[in-house]
Amino acid sequence: MSSRIPLVPENAAPLPSLKENNGLLAWVASVDHKQIGIMYLIITLVYFLLGGLEALLIRIQLAHPGNDFLTPEMYNQLFTMHGTTMIFFVVMPFLIGVGVYLLPLMIGARDMAFPRLNALSFWLFFFGGILLYYSFFTQSGAPDVGWFAYSPLSEKPFSLNKGPTYWALGLLASGIGSVASGLNNVVTILTMRTPGMTMRRIPLFVWMIFVTSLLLIFVIPIITAAFAMMLLDSLLGATFFTPAHGGSAILWQHFFWGFGHPEVYILILPAFGIISEVIPVFSRKPIYGYEFVAASTVAIGLLSLGVWAHHMFAVGLGNVANAYFSLASMLIAIPTGVKVLNWVATMWGGRINFATPMLFGTAFIIEFVIGGLTGVAIASVPIDWVVTDSYFIVAHFHYAIFGGSVFAIFAGVYYWFPKFTGRMLSETLGKWHFWLTVIGFNMTFFVQHFLGVMGMPRRTYTYHDMPYWGSMNLLSTIGALILGLSAIVFVWNILVSLRNGKPAGDNPWNAWTLEWATTSPPAVENFELVPPVRGRRPLWDLAHPDQPDEPGAKIV
Amino acid sequence: MNILHFLGSAWSFEPWVILFALALFGAYTLLPGSRLNRKSLLFSSGVMLMVIALVSPLDHLGRNYLFSAHMVQHILLLLVIPLMLLSGIPEAAAERALNSPYAGGLIKFLGNPVPAWLLGVGSMWVWHMPSLHDIVMANEGLYIAQQISFVLIGVIFWWPVFAPVKTARLSPLPAALYLASACLGCSILGMLITFAGAGLYTAYANPADSAGILSYIRNELCITPGVDQQIGGLTMWVPGCLIYLAASMVTVARWYASPEPGSVNTCTAESEVTTDLKLKEATERE
Ligand code: HEM
Ligand SMILES: [Cu+2]
Repeated sequence: MSSRIPLVPENAAPLPSLKENNGLLAWVASVDHKQIGIMYLIITLVYFLLGGLEALLIRIQLAHPGNDFLTPEMYNQLFTMHGTTMIFFVVMPFLIGVGVYLLPLMIGARDMAFPRLNALSFWLFFFGGILLYYSFFTQSGAPDVGWFAYSPLSEKPFSLNKGPTYWALGLLASGIGSVASGLNNVVTILTMRTPGMTMRRIPLFVWMIFVTSLLLIFVIPIITAAFAMMLLDSLLGATFFTPAHGGSAILWQHFFWGFGHPEVYILILPAFGIISEVIPVFSRKPIYGYEFVAASTVAIGLLSLGVWAHHMFAVGLGNVANAYFSLASMLIAIPTGVKVLNWVATMWGGRINFATPMLFGTAFIIEFVIGGLTGVAIASVPIDWVVTDSYFIVAHFHYAIFGGSVFAIFAGVYYWFPKFTGRMLSETLGKWHFWLTVIGFNMTFFVQHFLGVMGMPRRTYTYHDMPYWGSMNLLSTIGALILGLSAIVFVWNILVSLRNGKPAGDNPWNAWTLEWATTSPPAVENFELVPPVRGRRPLWDLAHPDQPDEPGAKIV
Repeated sequence: MNILHFLGSAWSFEPWVILFALALFGAYTLLPGSRLNRKSLLFSSGVMLMVIALVSPLDHLGRNYLFSAHMVQHILLLLVIPLMLLSGIPEAAAERALNSPYAGGLIKFLGNPVPAWLLGVGSMWVWHMPSLHDIVMANEGLYIAQQISFVLIGVIFWWPVFAPVKTARLSPLPAALYLASACLGCSILGMLITFAGAGLYTAYANPADSAGILSYIRNELCITPGVDQQIGGLTMWVPGCLIYLAASMVTVARWYASPEPGSVNTCTAESEVTTDLKLKEATERE
């Protein structure tokens, strides 16, 4: 009997420890959403460090003109792996993972709708990443065709090695996992809500995950099909994307960006969700305009499906097509912009507590606005023609993805770490982490706007000694090293706090959503009793029975 | 021919358009509950817009010169005008029609989301098959049938979302899904037309130039057949789709405005479910 695997331990028992008998098996074989969520988070942290290391190598190579720290081949592999890792194996799985952990807790459920499917998603992601990284150990090296793998570059005869094949296979596997996660999230949100938790009361984070999941279901299959075609081309001699044999290289770009643009919203919408949880709690006010934030997300999700060709302004689709896509892209900035106003209005007049989650939340707003503004700028065709494929684009999307998604991720980690582990992250180290990140980030990427406008091309391993290029690049590299330091502080904070952090208690931030109603970390059963839900802030209603959020929702 | 002259002269008040418009007006005045108010104003503007779309130079351009002009007309007739007509129908009239034995059954059948969706999206796809389109352009009777079908199908398509009788409508979230999927259906066709090579619709390749404005279009406006097809495809795709999207936002707004459905609460229900789950998993493990 003692060899029985504790798949379903007693309620209120902590998650299995690796040191226990069969502890490892209890994790690997788990279908518990919290364990799976934690595994997502740990793996993405590892990839974050790997992707960061790759970025540092890239930046060191670019520190001064004509550097030969890396060979051109190595450089190509590193920037490809960096982009692919950060998008597909850091930001996306982090957001999926944190969603898997929190969804059931936030809606008062016991687990996801399909726990086994949940595990399948995770393991597809896990092995997809291993497949991708295994390419480093093969003779031909890692993929070297960029995270967009444009054909014909990614096809024979320009790519004869196996790198792109590993790339497509790894992403194919993890992509199927993402579609499964999307389905699982949608069904969970639609069917597993506790009584009273209507769709108009679910936390905004859940709303964002809902829309993101619909996007996952619709757009990942586009790229999955394209991967399959690419594999047919490279392994079986098909010619879907080779113009020389009647295929079309532009078709690949349509597939890639038809997926790729909605993908950037897959990366940012859950981040909006995190911010929409953090800002109200640390401003001590309910979110301003819940309805708008939720409904505009639906609009953003739908619009994002139709604007991908703004990544293809330089392809030559024709002036008319460019003009339409330009207008449609600018349109999408409107609901996004108003969301920013919602957050600011929430902070306005609030009693703001600048703990680390809120610091990152506030910085998110500022950095993301910069990324959004450059986005609107390059959505205008003539501007894009000047700066496309230059460092201006690198600056734009880093402000959107790093300044946006990753800052929100940090905010989320500091906010929910107490719930995940039962211990607080150190505020002192957190402040160090925050300031190093903000300084390092802006130092690295702000100058790249200027470099881009001055014509420095992206995706090239070195550059000529043009006026100011050397010094600006050096500044950028120093910023990157500061960012590296900040990552070390972050990991250090996690390790130290796991051991010695202040015990968190159930609800250290005095927050209002259901996940804070249970123990930290939550017991296997999640809740012994789900509190009654009569409004958007159940724990507020519970604590202030005579002034509930929604009129008539008094608890007697 | 001078372009201003063209815009001034290319109005063709064809009898069938006038008859169709008069028939719509006549039927409207017979409806129970129709009187001069916001709704009847909406309905009449719809009919008026329809007449303009069918007799103005837009029609002439769409039939003789430009696929894109045809597409603008198409969007007006299928999406904009029917919505105005439908919103103009008095609730009482719709109620009466729904309760009458024959018409009621037909409306209920056509107003089902599945047939309505299929008709709405199908009319885009079918009428734009290049070969069919060429035939229609050359055949007056078919052309008339096509235009009238746009308006009627448009009304059917909007029915599940904007029916004058609230109970005949889909509830807001399925309605949003209904519209979003229709948007997707039309977008795909728009994409195909936009990115297909030029020359999909041969009728527009070498127009007969009956009004003598071809050189103006080609040389001054720089609209080659390829560009024309792109504008047409993009018109279906972007503005067309935005109409669906705007409408689905209306349904979401409706949803927020509607009263919350029974939000009763039982604290114990969930823990019962979870104990069940736990028991089930425990037994599976045995
Ligand atoms: C305000 C809304 C936005 C607009 C109008 C916009 C516009 C654009 C445009 C036109 C490009 C293509 C530039 C070129 O390659 O020449 C681009 C690139 C990019 N954007 Fe955005 N953007 C917006 C928001 C975002 C967000 C929220 C993200 C991510 C979370 C993002 C991530 C990216 C990425 C990754 C690229 C580069 C892709 C590549 O070539 O590798 N953008 N953006
Ligand atoms: Cu984009």
